[in-house]
Amino acid sequence: MLTEIHQGNTIGPVVKNITQEKIDLYAEASGDFNPIHIDESFAASTPLGGTIAHGMLILAYASEMMTLAFGQKWITGGKLSAKFKEPARPGDTVTINGTIDSIKEQNGISYANCSFRCCNQKDATIIIGEASVKLSAD
Amino acid sequence: MQNKTITYEELVPDYEFSPVSYVLDDSVISKYVEAADSVFDGSVPPLAITALALTAMTGFFSLPSDAIAIHASQELEFFKPVPIGATIECRAKVARKLARGQMRMLVLELGVFDQSKEKVQSGKTTIVLTN
Repeated sequence: MLTEIHQGNTIGPVVKNITQEKIDLYAEASGDFNPIHIDESFAASTPLGGTIAHGMLILAYASEMMTLAFGQKWITGGKLSAKFKEPARPGDTVTINGTIDSIKEQNGISYANCSFRCCNQKDATIIIGEASVKLSAD
Repeated sequence: MQNKTITYEELVPDYEFSPVSYVLDDSVISKYVEAADSVFDGSVPPLAITALALTAMTGFFSLPSDAIAIHASQELEFFKPVPIGATIECRAKVARKLARGQMRMLVLELGVFDQSKEKVQSGKTTIVLTN
């Protein structure tokens, strides 16, 4: 966890390797068996050209980064907004980095406002998003 | 009212799915934690709840046979931790449904509640259908 929370602090990185095995396992765990994720021959016949990881799997890595940085505060007062820009594919290494852009107070509660980006090994943006965490009520 | 499988074409804005309850038991969460390489601190990873809720809800409608569903964006807000073994209830409704040329877009609003009917998380999911 971050010991001190200041504007400009970086959070992360969280780095993960994407494999078809992980995608298959995530399909089982989440119950999302959309063939674009798990059926290689079907996926190859689509404009995507092959299987892609579930967006929610990659977003889980961003949530992991926020949990590592803010602990329970993320689970009890976290908020995120994310756009899936490019798919993550088997063989990709994805890296999620974030920054605390501002600390703001509203109605006596302080919030850390963060931005984050997930990119692959070619630096293509997979997910871009913003997150905020309720820090205190003092 | 029971949820039944309806077609994508039948979905309209403000359509409300019947609530679905399920137990976040140890086997379900262990599998999720392994699959997502998640940090496990004793409470259920919040995105495990979202993923299971989304699967429960999207299971109630069928997509056009020529369509590929792609997750385009996600908004989420977390309110409280959920322990392993908790029963949660998921409610969802269609917020928007759009079509632009070949592209179709569906926005679902999601609310997840615990046994005390307290909100655990809420969210908005945008799914794009392409051919």
